[in-house]
Amino acid sequence: MLAFLAASLPLFYLLRRALDAQISEIALILFRGKTLEILATTLGLTAAVTACASLIGVALAWMLFNIDFPFKSGLQALVILPVAIPSYVFAYSWILLIPGFKGFWAALFVLVLATTPYVTLTTLAALRRSDWSTYEVSQTLGLNGWQIFARVTWPQIKNSVAAGSLLSSLYVLSDFGAIALLGVDTLTRAIENIYRGSFDRSSASILALILVAISALLIRLEERSRQKLNIVKSSARIITKGVTTGKLRIKLIALLAINTYLALGLVIPISQLLSIFFANSTSINYSLLSKASLSTLLAACLGALIALALALPVGVLSAQGSKLGKVSDKAILIVHALPGIVMGLALVSFGSSIGWLYQSLLLLSFAYALLFMAKAVGSVRSSVARVPENLIEISATLGQKKSATFRRVVIPLATPGLLSGTLLVLLAAMKELPATLMLKPIGFETLATQMWSYTSIFRFNEAAPYALLLVLVAAIPTFLINRPDKGDGLGGDRI
Amino acid sequence: MRTKRVRAIALPIALILSASLLAGCAPQEDAGLVIYSGRSESLISPFLNEFTALTGIKPDVRYGDSAALAAQLLEEGHNSPADLFISQDAGALGAISEAGLFATLDDAILNRVEEKFRSSRLDWVGISGRVRVLAYSPERVKNLPTSIDQLTSPDYRGRIGIAPTNASFQAFITALILSRGESAAGNWLEKLKANAVKLYERNSQIVAAIDAGEIDLGLVNHYYIWEVSKALGREIAVANGFFAPGDTGNMINVAGVGILSTSSKKGSASELLAFLLSEAVQRGFLEDTHEYSLVLKDANPQGLPPLSQIPAPRVDLSLLANLSKTQALLMKVGLI
Repeated sequence: MLAFLAASLPLFYLLRRALDAQISEIALILFRGKTLEILATTLGLTAAVTACASLIGVALAWMLFNIDFPFKSGLQALVILPVAIPSYVFAYSWILLIPGFKGFWAALFVLVLATTPYVTLTTLAALRRSDWSTYEVSQTLGLNGWQIFARVTWPQIKNSVAAGSLLSSLYVLSDFGAIALLGVDTLTRAIENIYRGSFDRSSASILALILVAISALLIRLEERSRQKLNIVKSSARIITKGVTTGKLRIKLIALLAINTYLALGLVIPISQLLSIFFANSTSINYSLLSKASLSTLLAACLGALIALALALPVGVLSAQGSKLGKVSDKAILIVHALPGIVMGLALVSFGSSIGWLYQSLLLLSFAYALLFMAKAVGSVRSSVARVPENLIEISATLGQKKSATFRRVVIPLATPGLLSGTLLVLLAAMKELPATLMLKPIGFETLATQMWSYTSIFRFNEAAPYALLLVLVAAIPTFLINRPDKGDGLGGDRI
Repeated sequence: MRTKRVRAIALPIALILSASLLAGCAPQEDAGLVIYSGRSESLISPFLNEFTALTGIKPDVRYGDSAALAAQLLEEGHNSPADLFISQDAGALGAISEAGLFATLDDAILNRVEEKFRSSRLDWVGISGRVRVLAYSPERVKNLPTSIDQLTSPDYRGRIGIAPTNASFQAFITALILSRGESAAGNWLEKLKANAVKLYERNSQIVAAIDAGEIDLGLVNHYYIWEVSKALGREIAVANGFFAPGDTGNMINVAGVGILSTSSKKGSASELLAFLLSEAVQRGFLEDTHEYSLVLKDANPQGLPPLSQIPAPRVDLSLLANLSKTQALLMKVGLI
């Protein structure tokens, strides 16, 4: 209930602002040629990015799960790290590399790199909790790798892939950084421009409501593609390795593919940052740098915990098919497509009347939770849904109370999904900028705000260390949680 | 096993969080002077530190984009914790002024700058000047156009860059609408677009593109040459040019400050404003950011004429607040 109220806050705000507008104004905004063009670009880009990111994401996850490599768990964490790189850093590093790097295709390329990890992560988590016994059966039946994927793996991971794809499409809808630098006109950019130019909050709200409508549509699509799992969830084992393919040729191809993604999505941006830094190196203020890192971690961790606390009941209720759970689930996702500035202003509007709360660390973390809990709610829902019912029944038969069953059976089994969802919230919150600028306590600087304070005056060399540290700080939780081979964290022991 | 690890991670996090929450929630009554600043930290904080050393007043600054801060101030309305708003352009100041959220300033402050560089409602004042110029490549452009109208000629096809979403460009178009009327301004924009003008997000990108040889000319503010050169760590092959006297392409805009009417510290706020208009700080703006001083009338950024000799058109900066007409026009033409 709380989560639902929280999620609908920005929607109420938008409606209130949009209603301030004159009818003629609304008509002018909605029915001009440019709006249609913007709409077409937005939809086209979202569809193209989602399709590519899903394909690449599933392929990467499958390879990283099924094929044995040296340093495999390291690679599994590395492919997720591009999530920590702000989209404008991606865009900027490619602009530096290729003069004239601009337009739709450039944006498609950059956003695919940036959003693939959402699919990879959710798919990997799904693979890890897929049912081992069906693999054994299919191997016994002599199916080949491709057949196993199509008939056994795909049905089990399909819902998670859809959830990841949804995240990547909502990311594209709300992205401003890369879009603006690469000069593509999407709805989010149009909204931002209206705020900047005319301070006209009602027209901006109208465009934001269109964005809400699109995201509602996407969520509906995802929901329809989500099927009831008709697999009997008999085994609760969590597996760490799939059907291992040992063939050298396949191994090499897979390694090449993974490394190509890492080169484009991680090595190139980071090396560009390094070269910007060394091209014109200035003295680094280490105390500022370390303080900003701690602040970033602090606010993002708090945000992630609040997000988990809000997403957990929603995900559980939604998995059990409760109406309230499903509605809240959707409200949370819809809000996720909104640009940061809209969410920021909605919270300013609500928070500024409460003096003690306004611009406190608490409100900032709450904003992060609100902005990003959509990233957790999908994996909470699907991991709770996959907990075998017979285990819950057995627990009940053994005389355990519902709450105890939840604590001792559901939570431990759903932990991989919960952790990966929380991780995504954490990584996204670390690089959040527009809402942070509005809501942070004065003097509380995060890596993203520091970076912005230099890039806004074109001092990229001074911003570079902050960007690098952002990736580094983000790497810590990613590696910590993503250590399946050690028999803990995401993977967990076999039970 | 798993619970153990989760505990190992969770415990220190919980400790840090609770400790910092306690620290974060400590009441911050009597906070210092609260400034919302669209001017970035490295350009203003050295002066603020000086101010603290002089007066003992410690400002608490929230940095952000001028327009986003203006939107935030409008959203906060009378609940705003801010005492002072420093904006990088007149438009954002005008929006706050129009909403009636600024207090009237003292004459002593207002009279520091010429009438044309302050609000006609007397509730904000310019602190530095920024001139619109035609940045160009001296190598590839031998004869400068004398009027913005020449930019639409086939000679310049595909060679010009603009940043139509940028506040400074929109202020220029607003001035154009004021001087020529909406249809003439729209006409000019249509022709410019038809002349394959290249669109950028930021002024600095335009200057960098001229240096890189992507384009030859661009409509920007005068100080970007230094900014880009400093960022790249080398001299760049771009120069500032002006159109003929009185052309709207030479307009002067300002960065400025207003005091919020809800402020309970108007005295300290005025003191700070007076300090920002003092000679020492004005000279600092001139040297650090190559902006024009509005107080030292004969001082000029290196290589440019003094402000009084800029062939600028007369523009009422107070009218720049309402950019909705300008935006509607830019939308109609399809540039934003």
